[in-house]
Amino acid sequence: MGSCPRIQKEVIEGCRAGDEKAFADIVLNRQKKVFNIAYRMLGNLEEAKDLAQEVFISVFESIKDLKEEIKFDAWLTQITLNHCRNRWKYLKRRHYFNSDSLDDPIETEEGTMPKAIHDPSDNPETHYEKKMVQELIQRGLLKLKEDQRELLVLRDLQGFSYEEMSEMLDLPEGTIKSKLHRARMDLKGILEKSVH
Amino acid sequence: MDCEKVRDRFSSFWGKELIPPEEKIIREHLSSCQACQREFEQFEKTMEWLRSVGEERVPNGFFPELQKKMEERKGRAISAERGSGRWLGFPLSLKLPVQAVAMVAVIFLVLYLAKMMPTETYRLKEDTQTAPPLSVEKKPEQVLAQKEVESERGTARAPAEISRQKDVEQVKTPSPGEEKLKETYVPQVKAETKRTEMPASGTEVTEHKIVDSKEATRPQVPSPEPGKIAQGLLAKEKFIVASKPPREITLRVSDRERVTSKVNEIVKQFGGEVVAAEGDMLLVSLPTVSFSEFEKELQDLSPSAKADKAAAKRQILGSAKAAPGGKREEVNEKSEELAKSAVDQDSRTVVRILLTPE
Repeated sequence: MGSCPRIQKEVIEGCRAGDEKAFADIVLNRQKKVFNIAYRMLGNLEEAKDLAQEVFISVFESIKDLKEEIKFDAWLTQITLNHCRNRWKYLKRRHYFNSDSLDDPIETEEGTMPKAIHDPSDNPETHYEKKMVQELIQRGLLKLKEDQRELLVLRDLQGFSYEEMSEMLDLPEGTIKSKLHRARMDLKGILEKSVH
Repeated sequence: MDCEKVRDRFSSFWGKELIPPEEKIIREHLSSCQACQREFEQFEKTMEWLRSVGEERVPNGFFPELQKKMEERKGRAISAERGSGRWLGFPLSLKLPVQAVAMVAVIFLVLYLAKMMPTETYRLKEDTQTAPPLSVEKKPEQVLAQKEVESERGTARAPAEISRQKDVEQVKTPSPGEEKLKETYVPQVKAETKRTEMPASGTEVTEHKIVDSKEATRPQVPSPEPGKIAQGLLAKEKFIVASKPPREITLRVSDRERVTSKVNEIVKQFGGEVVAAEGDMLLVSLPTVSFSEFEKELQDLSPSAKADKAAAKRQILGSAKAAPGGKREEVNEKSEELAKSAVDQDSRTVVRILLTPE
């Protein structure tokens, strides 16, 4: 996971032994990453929080199955993506995203804001415009296919390498690159449609 | 290189992942193709926006909520484990008896329900009605109850009707020697208890007849064989006489009326009573203890008087067997019936006094 410091082997072993302090250490070090992946994948803060908690519960319950401590981050990301896929299916069955539109108000930590009508790059300096860009991207991500969204989140938002992504998604690097390019082009098209 | 191929390499070109010759080719194309250049500018802006997206802050209370969730799940898991594993955790010494008791209870319940089913009940009832061995093998309580019912019927009947019972094969009397007959069964014999009350004496004679249970189903139907009636009556009479025969005293008298009144006086004197007086015969009931005294008194009336119990018995038996049909025999029959009803089994003696002219 990109810039995060690697989780120490001792911590992983402590967590495996049921040490709650070690588990708390892991949670505090990885909660932001897990929560952000979940949020970008689901587009809802509350769902993302709940899902991230579920991910850490799964980690605590199944960390004994982790064979190589060095691959902890890839393993944690796989668990997160699996939870995201399941939750996405669950929410889709309940038509949770049917009313979603780029014209809908955008949910942020500071409340909701109207959809960006003008190109936010016209005035990029303002905090409001920055937030608007972020939410435009988030809406655009949610319009993409799930696997495309995963690629963009992992590579462009979380900074995973092609090698890590290849391992996590069990795909060749070439396939990852081509699929990622397709996802970017699709997002460009979505954003072009939504921005005048 | 055409526009399509150049646009396919936008990601690689933007990420500087292309080898220098390829990068040069793309750069030259973009400088010459405005459409591709505009497309690349849009792509660049999208990537700029995408990369500008920062990370969201983790909501407050994330970790405490996580801990709370984990505690709840742990509690649920423990309770579920306890719920399902509590019985398994009990020792075998406790589980086996409980399971055995439960099994027995289930078996009894099934049997009870099976018995209570109407079809089964009907079938069983039918079996008891059709199977002769079951009706023959009646319990003593059932036989006694039947006797009770028939005894009630018997009291309602007239004495003449009672005497015409056809199917009597054996009659039981209350003499000590025959006591066992009261309690035993005689195959093919109907048992019946009758109570007839003599108005003059107020004493009771009880007869027990053991009957066939098959015949009990048609108790009022008389037997079509007339010989059997006579046989039955004879047997009945024989049995009564044999069990408690009246003492017989023959008095040779010249003045019959005087002797009769004298006998009446003596009877009263000994605390007895004249049960019947018919022609030359007097039937007297008196306390057994005073019989010998009474006999002596009578002998004083007539020196030729004889009291021979054994002879009297033989005479009665002989008359019953011969059944000559004379007036004397009729009187004897009647006297036997009266004697039967008048006898107080334990304390009184019936004496038949025959007055014969000298």
